[in-house]
Amino acid sequence: MRREPFFWITISCGLVIMAFILLPLIEMMTAPSLSMLKETIKDKDVVRSIWLSIYTAGLAALISFVLGTPLAYLLARRNFMGKRLVEGIIDLPIVIPHPVVGIAILSVAGRNHWIGQLLSELGIRVMGSVTGIVIVLTFVGMPFYLNAAKNGFESISPRLEKVSRSLGASMFSTFFRITFPLAWRSMLIGIIMCCARAISEFGAVVIVAYHPMIAPVLIYERFEAYGLKYSQPVAVWLVSLCLALFLTLRILTLGKTREV
Amino acid sequence: MKERSGYKWLMYGVVAIVLLLPFGKSFGDTTGKVIIFNAGSLTIPFANMEKAFEGKYPKVDIIREAAGSRKCARKITDLKKPCDIMASADYTVIDQLLIPAYADWNIRFATNRLVLCYTNKSKYAKEVNTQNWYEILLKKGVVWGHSDPNLDPCGYRSVMVLQLAEKYYKIPGLYQRLIDNRPKANIRPKSVELVALLQTGNMDYAWEYRSVAVQHELKFVELPDQINLGNYKYDTFYKKAIVKVTGKKPGTFLKKKGKSCTYGITLLKNAPNTQATTAFLQYMLDPQGGLKILKEMGQPPFIPCRVPTAEMKARLPKSLRDLVEVRE
Repeated sequence: MRREPFFWITISCGLVIMAFILLPLIEMMTAPSLSMLKETIKDKDVVRSIWLSIYTAGLAALISFVLGTPLAYLLARRNFMGKRLVEGIIDLPIVIPHPVVGIAILSVAGRNHWIGQLLSELGIRVMGSVTGIVIVLTFVGMPFYLNAAKNGFESISPRLEKVSRSLGASMFSTFFRITFPLAWRSMLIGIIMCCARAISEFGAVVIVAYHPMIAPVLIYERFEAYGLKYSQPVAVWLVSLCLALFLTLRILTLGKTREV
Repeated sequence: MKERSGYKWLMYGVVAIVLLLPFGKSFGDTTGKVIIFNAGSLTIPFANMEKAFEGKYPKVDIIREAAGSRKCARKITDLKKPCDIMASADYTVIDQLLIPAYADWNIRFATNRLVLCYTNKSKYAKEVNTQNWYEILLKKGVVWGHSDPNLDPCGYRSVMVLQLAEKYYKIPGLYQRLIDNRPKANIRPKSVELVALLQTGNMDYAWEYRSVAVQHELKFVELPDQINLGNYKYDTFYKKAIVKVTGKKPGTFLKKKGKSCTYGITLLKNAPNTQATTAFLQYMLDPQGGLKILKEMGQPPFIPCRVPTAEMKARLPKSLRDLVEVRE
């Protein structure tokens, strides 16, 4: 069967993109020896930092899920004055340079700001704490969850909800019995995207918290103190983790396309 | 045909003149490029000196490369990179790595020292002074920090100041008590990053070089010369401070000994452009020229600059000899 040129264009562009993403990553992944990798994962600091990365990114995703879902639903269902503005504000954390995010958060958390004063009276510390890391990761990860969840809600017909309401179900029960079962896949994808974005964050975190070290900060510290040789194995472990996350994401989306 | 070839010769002539023009220029007095390798902490004052000097000598182009002092020397000795002037944050680097193979002399031109920075909003900002600074750093609730000793020389120097303070004030255990009141979370990779923490009110006190404090317009407490690592007269006392920093691979360590922050400058022997180079040095070592800029930027200069022996002074280019004194 003769293929059209269009087909070959899609194939060759695809190959270029695959090579563009994979070549540097493969180069990096294969640089450390197996024994180095083994030695690295035995290092308590490395395990601690990778665990801290997963745990804080997970918390950021959980907070985005709890606080973000109602807003995502509102944006998907209602039209109101200034909706575009709200959507623009939600995307802001994606555009702002990372160190600026860190400094911005610190300037609210410091003694010079009433919120910072309130926090310190409550005994909550943002600088150099896990709390600080979670705040930063939520800040940068939230937009990814909100957008994915909003798209999910938008793809469900409001008629289904109206039928449920007309049969006497409350807003709450309609949401949990009709909307949520149909939209959970998009929400889960949003959570994973948010998590993945949070795990990769470095620039904003290093401003707010150097210690305790999340994995990207540890990679930076190892690179500065010992050079490439000792930072790469940590990076390999972290990339493997992200790969696992994204594979889960792909598998989930695959399920969705089959269904439709 | 003949007319054509005349035209051709005219063209050759024009091309030749255009090509030779740049050479004609360099036969004037002070022209050309001056390549300077300087320690990172000298970047801002040297940038200002460049502006002022090039204003005086418009035909000279100063090219600066900033790096750690040892790295600067390695670029000359190992990588054989062309360089006219090398300015080091540690004058012993020039003595150890460049003399005698690459340079003949070493002028000490400025110092720097550790200071304790704070802002109006810092806790106890009204009370802190040269006598009570360590009592304030010991107070619960006072947030203070320094940069990472493993990544930043300012970091291990800050720790040295604390060790020296214990010996100088004769308070046993002071160092450990101070460190115990400084959670790891208060450490940052580089000292300049602490400035943002001070300014946003997340930190009360931070250890910085005096030059950084002045350049960022921070308030700061000056410490006695015996502990501030700023006076090479006390080098034997400074040596008593020893800080363990990470070595070549994780789990290994090496020891750093205390030493004064004394800046040295030298002219490389095979400097490609000696005339403009000495003109720059003449400007830089002048109390009304470069040294004044250094002073404004918080790096106290030696007025006049110093060389250790009369014999070394004799090796200086003639135009520089009047600008230095012999002093141990």
